[in-house]
Amino acid sequence: MSTEVKSKLKTWTDLPANVIKSVFRNPLPTSDRGRVATSFTNFFLHIQPVRFNRHSLRVSYTMGLGLISFFLFVILTVTGILLMFYYVPSTTQAYGRMLDLRSSVAFGVILRNMHRWAAHAMVATVFLHMCRVFFTGAYKPPREFNWNIGVALFLLTLLSSFTGYLLPWDQLAFWAITVGTSIAGYAPLVGKELRFMLLGDSTVGQEALLRFYVLHVVVLPLVLTIFAAVHFWRIRKDGGLSRPEPASAAPRAVAAEPEAPIAAVSTMAHAGTERRFVVQGLVRGPFVKVGKLEEDTVFSWPNLLIAELFVLLLTIAGVMLVSYFCNAPLEQPVNVMHPPNPAKAPWYFLGLQEQVSYSAFWGGVGVPGIELLLLVLIPYLDRGKAGIGRWFARERLLANSLFATFVIVNIGLIVIGTFFRGANWQFVSPF
Amino acid sequence: MAPTHTDKIEKASAAEPDLPRRRFLAWLSGAGMVGTLVTGVFASFAFMKPRTTYGEPSRFRIGRPEDFPSGARIAIDTKRVCIVRDGNKVAAISTTCTHLGCIVAPSETGFKCPSHGSQFDVDGNVTGGPAPKPLSWVAVTLTPNGELEVDKDNEVQTGSYLNV
Repeated sequence: MSTEVKSKLKTWTDLPANVIKSVFRNPLPTSDRGRVATSFTNFFLHIQPVRFNRHSLRVSYTMGLGLISFFLFVILTVTGILLMFYYVPSTTQAYGRMLDLRSSVAFGVILRNMHRWAAHAMVATVFLHMCRVFFTGAYKPPREFNWNIGVALFLLTLLSSFTGYLLPWDQLAFWAITVGTSIAGYAPLVGKELRFMLLGDSTVGQEALLRFYVLHVVVLPLVLTIFAAVHFWRIRKDGGLSRPEPASAAPRAVAAEPEAPIAAVSTMAHAGTERRFVVQGLVRGPFVKVGKLEEDTVFSWPNLLIAELFVLLLTIAGVMLVSYFCNAPLEQPVNVMHPPNPAKAPWYFLGLQEQVSYSAFWGGVGVPGIELLLLVLIPYLDRGKAGIGRWFARERLLANSLFATFVIVNIGLIVIGTFFRGANWQFVSPF
Repeated sequence: MAPTHTDKIEKASAAEPDLPRRRFLAWLSGAGMVGTLVTGVFASFAFMKPRTTYGEPSRFRIGRPEDFPSGARIAIDTKRVCIVRDGNKVAAISTTCTHLGCIVAPSETGFKCPSHGSQFDVDGNVTGGPAPKPLSWVAVTLTPNGELEVDKDNEVQTGSYLNV
């Protein structure tokens, strides 16, 4: 065989390997340098730092709640897009399409169940995540802004869930949205206008269904994605997850392997023949320290990646399990003439509805508005540095007690609204 | 301490000559951006507020006065209005609860909301429950061919009857 033929042949025999090499620049890492390069050169992995603090992996600290919330959002996006192929936002067709999911769409029921339960779960996990961040003092400087991004994400989650609630166009959906949007109507000055714009009409009807659909499938997920991206970005820029100060305040010993982060740079420098990379960023504060390794850090590949994939699997498994055994509710088609008694908003707004039954303005707008304002202002009011990174730190007794009161009162109101309110919103015993 | 990279940059920017034209252009661009944003937001809100709605018309005919005998209190749920006739006086009371927008039903003592237990007297004044305002009365007129017409956009004072 001539050399020419041999080299032609080699082109073809090497083709699979060359394709893979073009996609993944590094082989599966076996050395620290390889782990750095893998994290650094992969688009999806470079979102995470190359090394991170070991403390961030503690399940007892984070409980994975932020990750679970994000993975639920991913599940909601995937199942939601699939459901969109069969859904029509029309008052005459929507309910029929719900029935069709049961009778004539393969996996229609399980997809709708997954979407429904993941949505409820996300409202819960986002709230629990907020509680975790508060009780560990993680909202304190320099993480004040990220706390507020989180508050915005919580509101966006509620809105996404609320707008989706209407789409099945059954009695539950119709009256829950009628009640829910009336609460919005109590806002001073703009309330009536706001409600009219939200519904596109004076009552819940075709316009409202279309508006809620567009908000639910495009506007809110898009805004939520952007906010989530900023949220993740800020975690890194604010110095990783919050953690307690290291026990010894003595100057930390510089670890004796200075090549790792530099290796990330120098590896790149040798990867291409002409390309050279120079550090141009200005590094300060808790940001990346080039040439120094903080103690107690581990490589993202594989430690963080495995932890994340594990949480992803757990989340999917949990949602699948619930969806297999419990069907998403579907009541009778909308009958505008017959409100159910009592007509209840979605469970996460039942605390609000319970408050509204005492005072329309204060319960529906005044108190929630003050609560929201306090949530936004907390990190700017509570400036103490003590007790960051520990659950229920003694130094934060006052702040934690206040927040616990807020949580308990709101959960209590939701429980009362859900289980203890019967016809005419009379107090009933569920037992 | 040796001058760091940051110091050098700060010095460089301090030494930068003041360029009025650049400053003017920057100001102009900024004003343009803000203006675009403000008008864009305003236009979007205006766009989102419908000029016409496709639901139930708020002005509708309900029949002739004879259809409503004296003492009748007939709720028309599809229109969310209750027609009240007292002798030769006719009026229309909205049956949309002022609390959270559910439909109230006529009861012996007036109106009752099935959702949150608001109660109203026969004139729609609140007698119990969480409703913050009395039920609104809306205008009833007689069309030239002798039919009653209700205009729900036209709220009138409680106790305003039409004589027929």
